[in-house]
Amino acid sequence: MTTTDDTERSGETRAAVPGGGRERLADWLDRHAQHIFIWPAVTMILIFSIFPLVASFIMALSRIRLRGGSYRVRFVWFQNFEKQLFGSEQFHFLGTFGGMSILGWVVALLVTGGIVWWVLRYLMSGPTVVGLVGRLFTWGLVLGVGWLLAATFFSGHPFGTLGTTLFYVIFGCGVQFVIGVGLAFLCSLPIKGRSFFRVVFFVPLMITPIGVGYAFRMMADTTKGPFSPAWQWLGLGDFAWAADPWAARFFIMIGDSWQWIPFIFVVMLAALESVPRDYVEAAQVDGASSWEIFKDITWPQVVPVAATVLLIRVIEAFKIVDLPNIMTAGGPGIATESMTLHALFAWRSLDLGQSAAVAYLLLFVTVVTCVSFFNLVVLRRIRA
Amino acid sequence: MSRTLMQRLFEPTSIRDMAIGTKVIVYSILLFWTAFVLFPIYWVLITSFKTAVDVNSGPVFLPFIDFQPSLHAWKELFVFDYEDTLKAYVNSLIIALSSTAASVLIGSMAAYALARFEYRPKFGVVLTFVLVMIAAFYAVGAYGVDWRLASASGIAVFVFLAIALGRYFKARLSNGDILFWMISQRILAPIVVVVPIYMMFQQVRLLDTHIAIILTYTVINLPIVIWLMYDFFRSIPIDLEESAQLDGATRIGVFWDIVLPLSRTGLAATTLLVMILSWNEYLLALFLSTSRAQTMPILVAAMNAGERGILWWSMSVVIIVMIIPVIVLAIILQRYISKGLLLGAVKG
Amino acid sequence: MTVVLDKVSKSFGAVKVLHDLSLEVQDGEFLVLLGASGSGKSTALRMIAGLETVSEGTIHISGRDVTNELPKNRDVAMVFQSYALYPHKTVAENIGYPLKIRRLARADMEAQVRDVAQQVQLDELLDRYPKELSGGQRQRVALARAMVRRPAVFLMDEPLSNLDAKLRGHMRAELKHMQHELGITTIYVTHDQVEAMTLAHRVALLEGGRLQQLATPRAIYEDPENLFVAQFIGSPPMNVAHGTLEGGTFIVGDDRVATGGSETVRNAVIGLRAEDCRVVAPSEGQLHAKLFANELIGDHTLVTAKLGEDTLSIKASKDFEAGFDEAIGIAFDPDKIYLFDKDTGARIDRRG
Repeated sequence: MTTTDDTERSGETRAAVPGGGRERLADWLDRHAQHIFIWPAVTMILIFSIFPLVASFIMALSRIRLRGGSYRVRFVWFQNFEKQLFGSEQFHFLGTFGGMSILGWVVALLVTGGIVWWVLRYLMSGPTVVGLVGRLFTWGLVLGVGWLLAATFFSGHPFGTLGTTLFYVIFGCGVQFVIGVGLAFLCSLPIKGRSFFRVVFFVPLMITPIGVGYAFRMMADTTKGPFSPAWQWLGLGDFAWAADPWAARFFIMIGDSWQWIPFIFVVMLAALESVPRDYVEAAQVDGASSWEIFKDITWPQVVPVAATVLLIRVIEAFKIVDLPNIMTAGGPGIATESMTLHALFAWRSLDLGQSAAVAYLLLFVTVVTCVSFFNLVVLRRIRA
Repeated sequence: MSRTLMQRLFEPTSIRDMAIGTKVIVYSILLFWTAFVLFPIYWVLITSFKTAVDVNSGPVFLPFIDFQPSLHAWKELFVFDYEDTLKAYVNSLIIALSSTAASVLIGSMAAYALARFEYRPKFGVVLTFVLVMIAAFYAVGAYGVDWRLASASGIAVFVFLAIALGRYFKARLSNGDILFWMISQRILAPIVVVVPIYMMFQQVRLLDTHIAIILTYTVINLPIVIWLMYDFFRSIPIDLEESAQLDGATRIGVFWDIVLPLSRTGLAATTLLVMILSWNEYLLALFLSTSRAQTMPILVAAMNAGERGILWWSMSVVIIVMIIPVIVLAIILQRYISKGLLLGAVKG
Repeated sequence: MTVVLDKVSKSFGAVKVLHDLSLEVQDGEFLVLLGASGSGKSTALRMIAGLETVSEGTIHISGRDVTNELPKNRDVAMVFQSYALYPHKTVAENIGYPLKIRRLARADMEAQVRDVAQQVQLDELLDRYPKELSGGQRQRVALARAMVRRPAVFLMDEPLSNLDAKLRGHMRAELKHMQHELGITTIYVTHDQVEAMTLAHRVALLEGGRLQQLATPRAIYEDPENLFVAQFIGSPPMNVAHGTLEGGTFIVGDDRVATGGSETVRNAVIGLRAEDCRVVAPSEGQLHAKLFANELIGDHTLVTAKLGEDTLSIKASKDFEAGFDEAIGIAFDPDKIYLFDKDTGARIDRRG
């Protein structure tokens, strides 16, 4: 092959590149690829997430009357929120307030003391403006919820949808996290049938939450359910769990856990298995037991993943609606009603302003909790 | 060497094995959990073969021994009264598959863009946009201005302000901010946005249509796709993409020919997760569909409210039938996941 | 095809990584961009490829201004250090990818792929995946993929550095032969001076984002433009001794070396290649040093000596023997010395 031959060929290739409308269009697309790639997502998020978010806020500040196909909006500032927090809907959202019991006072003071100590410790450690403002929200929420629980739950009065939602989130996610991580740890041990357990433990995630709700309603049925002989034997044959606030809450939490423990399990097992073998082997040579190896070697390496997976779970848990709706329809009374369900019921009764206000309160609690958790736990774990 | 009983039970004899006591404990826990996981499913399964009498006369556990299985619930749903179920099933399939495809595609594109291009939007411009938007909404809400007029003039005002003020804004956002913004959309509880979305679709007369639900599902799942795929794309050696560009491929070509095939593993896992989420979604469908576009979860939830009480046998059939597409997809994607893992070693 | 860089600069934010680089690569020339890591050589190459934007200056390929052209329209092919083989495509698909993008007919494509594969002895392996190939074979696939479309310019970014030493020598020879056969203009980036010296028609030595010298390998070795070039090229590096230059006489310690010039520089450096020096009796020679170590390499002995603070390497015959700390004399041909200004690094005695 001679040089001239090559020159001619490359000449041809080059001549084919420029010119021609189609090539120009391709080039134009290529030059603007940066925008073409991101704009679909940005536009969709703007239209279906940001616009509604703003609109919802305006709705939360309005009184809306539907008349036929159209609606009339009257701007009422924070009246909707006022009604939820201090007015006629207070029992529904926050709970019923009566006198504080001694236990209530103790809890309230403990929470306050804890916050004061936290504030002082932070102020001593060189605060920044952004850090301080962010923490003010966290402190405010913790203090508010602490006092709320002290005045309702710990003083023997029923709490509202806020307390119920936090029960599902804090208690439910806590249980799910501990069991999920525990099962993942057990499955990471040298056991037989590991892939069997892995598949079986994953299954609940594939079942529709509505189905989970019904299945657990059947499970919990004291007269026709599979455990009814046991209930009868215990003398609880005619105990209606759906009529007892705490029994109902726990059943919903168990159903929710049954479905979501697999999620934590799968992610944590993958994380545990990706820890390099040599660390573990070095510890084994040093004579550490499986539990010590887990505690001292493996766990510190998977903490960032654990914190992230817990965050994801907390975010999703705040949105809980299908299980309470299917299993108890929020009852007895409002005992199992989550905030989403609360807003849904408000919407059903055509009270759009209240519905939006409750939704916004949920958003506020969710954002403060998740952002605090992210900044104070996840980021710190990742950096450590 | 004398070992105490406790030592004999709980000290491992070799490094790859566990002591007998530990073994007993570990296996009991795992087997207990297996039972806990499988029993409700088993119960649903046998209930689907029970007659009303079997269900109502107290618990029976073993088919052919405790009770005679019957196909009546299955027949009822698939032979005599199939129209509603079938319609909802097809609706659900169309909606879940389309929205999964759309959000995986759009989300992957955005994730790739954030992983490979640099964006530096001006903070002031973004702020202007948000303020103009709020003003437009206020105008629509409080003064009844037509929404088309409001959005058109809003965009016009924004463009004018962005051009006029653009150069005075100095602070810029980075890719990290955009990524955070997109992912943080997942924190948003659907209940916050669903009523305005309902009104939007009402305005354009798209309520109770597939397209409305597909679009909404696509958006709520975008953050998950972006979150999962971003890390995946970052881990692809950039050399491969640059090489393809020099070989003559366009950016879109690179994305399609090189990036997506190399991310099969991540795409498979993401697709499965998004599919499960949209297949089971309840709240948004509750708002956006009434009859024509009704999805399975809505249908199942509505079975609660029959005049004959809950028909547990029919309910069980529907629950089982609803698992099928997810399992099928899991099996299909399983193949790709393992294949992707084999190809995993990108650089040797 | 020619490649012309005219005062090309590149800044990343406030950091300027390339300063006014001007190069003219002739048609069919093999130009090597040589430099340590961070010298800006890879950035320069990536700018020619179009993978980095140009901050200032212009780039012409075959007389066409491509400064703002997309990479795919520049008609250049690049071989990456990692080879950048597509792991999900077979060898044949990898080689054929550039043709596939140009929508060549299937039959043509297959013929051309086979043709190129034959040239690099890959025809047996066309159905394999990259992960099933050895390092050398992957290297050939990368070359074949670059060759198959007959580009105007080959760009190579340290293509041999992932190979083991033995294979590297072999591939180097093959690469040189192939470039000669094809006659395609090639720009090659490396940090390895042996690669640069053996492969290049001309070497461009970069340091700190600035071009230090652009010359043939022989010229760059024998006539370095400044102290940096002198010390970068050659193995062992050029010996230097610090002293003063007074009216053409270089003074270091008690030694006075006549240089044949008449310059006076307070901080001066004398440079000597190891092979230009001889070890002689302490009473003879122009410089006098203490023996630090001697190492028998094989065909010669490398003698390391201390001259004040400076360390000198001398190639002596393989029979040379001496004890540690013995005084030795160093003799050399006065024509073979290089003089530099310590402060500016500039060559003092450049002739012509």
